[in-house]
Amino acid sequence: MTRRLIAIGGLWLLLLGILAVRAPNFFAPENLRDMAITNAPALVVSIGMTLVILAGEIDVSIGSQFAVLSVVAGILAKSGLPLPMVAFGTLASGAVLGSVNGLLVTAMGIPSIVATLAAMAFWREFLRWTTQGAWVEGIPATFQWMGLGQTGGELAIVGSAAILFAVATWVTGNLKLGRAVYAVGSRRESARLAGIPVSGVTFGVFALMGAFTALAAFLDTVRFTQVQSSAGVGLELKAISAVVIGGTSITGGKGSLWGTLMGVVVLAAIAPALTFLGVNAFWEKAIQGAIILAAVVMERAAMKGDRAHAR
Amino acid sequence: MLVENRAGGERALLLLILLEIAVFAFTGPNFLSAANAFEIVRLGTELGLIALALTPVIVTGGIDLSVGSMMGFCAVAFGYLWRDAQLSIAAAAGCTLLVGVAGGALNALAITRFKAPPLIVTLATYSLFRGMAEGLTRGVDNFSGFPAGFLYVGQGYIGGLVPAQASVFLAFALFYWFLLHRTTRGRAFRAIGFAPEGARWAGIPVQRRLALAYILAGFTAATASLIYVAHLGQARADAATGYELLAITAVVLGGADILGGRGSIWGTLLGLSAIVIMQNGLRVSAYPAELAGILTSAILVIAIAAGRRTKRVSRIPAIEENTEEDMKNSQLAVLSAVIIAGSLIVAGTNWWLVQSVTGKAPIPGVSPSIAMNPAPGEPAHKLTIAVMPKAKGDPYFVSCRLGAEKAAKELGIDLIWDGPTDLDPAKQNEVVEAWITRGVDAIAVAVVNAPGISTVLRKARAKGIKVLTWDADAMEDARDFFVNQATPQGIGDTLADEANRILKGKGDFAIITGALTAANQNEWIKFIKARTESKYPGLNLLTVRPSDDDRNRAFSETQTLMKVYPKMRLVMAISAPAVPGASEAVKQSGRTDVKVTGLSLPNMCKPYVEAGVADSVVLWNTLDLGYLVVNASKQAVEGTLKPGVDSIQGGRLGKITIEGSQVVLGKPLIFTKANIGQYDF
Repeated sequence: MTRRLIAIGGLWLLLLGILAVRAPNFFAPENLRDMAITNAPALVVSIGMTLVILAGEIDVSIGSQFAVLSVVAGILAKSGLPLPMVAFGTLASGAVLGSVNGLLVTAMGIPSIVATLAAMAFWREFLRWTTQGAWVEGIPATFQWMGLGQTGGELAIVGSAAILFAVATWVTGNLKLGRAVYAVGSRRESARLAGIPVSGVTFGVFALMGAFTALAAFLDTVRFTQVQSSAGVGLELKAISAVVIGGTSITGGKGSLWGTLMGVVVLAAIAPALTFLGVNAFWEKAIQGAIILAAVVMERAAMKGDRAHAR
Repeated sequence: MLVENRAGGERALLLLILLEIAVFAFTGPNFLSAANAFEIVRLGTELGLIALALTPVIVTGGIDLSVGSMMGFCAVAFGYLWRDAQLSIAAAAGCTLLVGVAGGALNALAITRFKAPPLIVTLATYSLFRGMAEGLTRGVDNFSGFPAGFLYVGQGYIGGLVPAQASVFLAFALFYWFLLHRTTRGRAFRAIGFAPEGARWAGIPVQRRLALAYILAGFTAATASLIYVAHLGQARADAATGYELLAITAVVLGGADILGGRGSIWGTLLGLSAIVIMQNGLRVSAYPAELAGILTSAILVIAIAAGRRTKRVSRIPAIEENTEEDMKNSQLAVLSAVIIAGSLIVAGTNWWLVQSVTGKAPIPGVSPSIAMNPAPGEPAHKLTIAVMPKAKGDPYFVSCRLGAEKAAKELGIDLIWDGPTDLDPAKQNEVVEAWITRGVDAIAVAVVNAPGISTVLRKARAKGIKVLTWDADAMEDARDFFVNQATPQGIGDTLADEANRILKGKGDFAIITGALTAANQNEWIKFIKARTESKYPGLNLLTVRPSDDDRNRAFSETQTLMKVYPKMRLVMAISAPAVPGASEAVKQSGRTDVKVTGLSLPNMCKPYVEAGVADSVVLWNTLDLGYLVVNASKQAVEGTLKPGVDSIQGGRLGKITIEGSQVVLGKPLIFTKANIGQYDF
């Protein structure tokens, strides 16, 4: 895990080095600020995804959930509810959506990739059907920046993500609850024998994932005055990539939120960095794929001989 | 034990398919016909090949997310080899298959040699292959004009009835069936899926067998890409986007265990049939396209859950099973009920709120003016006109739909409004096929891919259906009339003129487009470039950035552009959601020296135009466009619009000019602070 961090860190420093020489403007405070705000929601969902993957599961439905929850937030705001109620309503809806996934996985015994694949298609098509692509327009002006003004709102967005990160890091590192997630992900049967409610933990990470997706959708929509109904396409791949680049084992039980933070930062930097370097946009996707592949292969090459992970 | 389970699951699936057929036979005119049955086979071929290829991969406990992207890359490689490297079709096809093998080998290498998890490896190559296809073509380039002999593979009929690609599919199905069920290799896949370590001790060369599964997947994806290109007559970088998920769904629905060890070709074929028949049946019945995704996912969950239940009873090792039982059944029931109720409430309120808030949004599903099927037996004298947008969810087309519905109500005709939910040329063909089967009076298509759709449009004309195109044209001989709202050149010129006006003849600007592969936008960019180069030498186009039709992406791109090019004075956003995105970014930066213009809907941009951030927005009246399409279609059926006529009465639009075979809507509108308040769409 740390090897992958070193490998990825090396690649990243190389990119930063090139940027420092070729486009020092990249490091201008305004750019860093804008990148932080834009990617705060991505960090929030990646934290949730880290927990899901640590528990040995996966959730590919968050992009669709994100779109549904953005519209929920927009509609609640439009209906004139006070902002805290809007936030609460969105988070509660998110928890419900996540719980549906949790139930499919724990109670019905459906492998998480299949259950959330179904949820992904279901919620996306459901939203397309109900909204027919229409945006939520005419939201009260106090919704944007949560009524705190631009600077205040920006601070609140980045602050919320940072606080969530700090809390999640502390909980996974120090509380029994956090260790239970690792235990379930590394060996379910042992975890069960050790008295950990395996189904409860699994259900819990999915419910949390839903709530975090809702928070991300909320933090994302408050930056604007309209809500689009097609947001979040590909968000699940971005979050999974961030988690994996951050060294968390896709089979569960191993990894850390610090790694995920790094993964989010690396992915966040790639697109703007290429613009700053004047690289043609057409190659972006290929470069992103190559970086993930390189990260995985480099790490594995470093631990050649270790046969513990056949899959 | 396994056999019994499989038989149970397959029986259920077979029942489902029969149920689908029974329902659609009732709701879909001509659904039960040999021609439609073979059409289903044609539509299922590419997806089916991918699903076949994924079956052994999933049986080994792996997964391959890269197959769809691989198809895109192979399609582009094929086009390159044929057109630019001047290879013969056969040689180019052969090399393309090798490319597929190489791509599969790359996956195999990372998975077997470096022992990286398949999910991550193929997630990376999913981006990598698609990215390479985009990079090679710069998103713009595409390949068409393939010889008829090659197109026959994807468009022709053997003996006038059986689609040519069915033979390829049959061959692959037999091959995979033999491999998986009649060879030791097939059993090795299964053994690896159950327990890789155990398989290794049993003397199975695990890594070699795994490599075989992934390389075969690459080879099959390459074959599927050739058929896809022949089917659409065009090779593009965005070929087969999203196929991997649908194929995985088919395999899993067919009873394969995503964790490995179980799965059969027969099951995959059944799963595939269930999905493809449902898609076709919904289209022929003129139910909204979104239902397919909703129903497929629901069926998937139910099928797997049911399968798990039977498996729980029969699978021997107790380890996995009893671990889950730390919640009592009664608790579970209560919890389930609460959550299902909760999700219904979320779903319901979402629906109602969307309804009440957007107000003018069309009623989900079937509004009164949209054709349901006339009840069987009831004579249907009303004309049925089927209109297809490029993508259903696009706000631009949503507002066209409102105009179309208004016209349908006025004229007393049945309107079917359906199409792909994303830009997808292959899906457009499928929808037209379904309409031909259903038997409509006129078809009007906003074409995504001209060479791709022309064959099927010609077929519709041959069956006596009037064919119109709108928004973007097909090949001229494939349609009767083209409702032309503005030519790409007209749009490009208007946008360039606007840029010149806003920049006062001198300055730097950047373009934010939709997807890099979007044909429309690429066409406009071409004319914007041509116009600025020839007429406005003072204007300087800095760069073109993608937004993927995502408002938030357009926002971030604009932020970055403003920093990278401090001298940039204008952002030209040419995708509807990109204009508000770019405007918001400019507004938040507080830069009053940067302006936004572009192509978008007035309602979306009103706040920004009124605040002076966006200087102007260019668009024709989409309501009128939708209205005119339906009106012209009706007149084409009734004969008042026929070759040689130089004008028609366009209802509330008054007299409409006909130029040759083009119905002309008029010039694009330019919305500015002065007039944007008058428009509501």
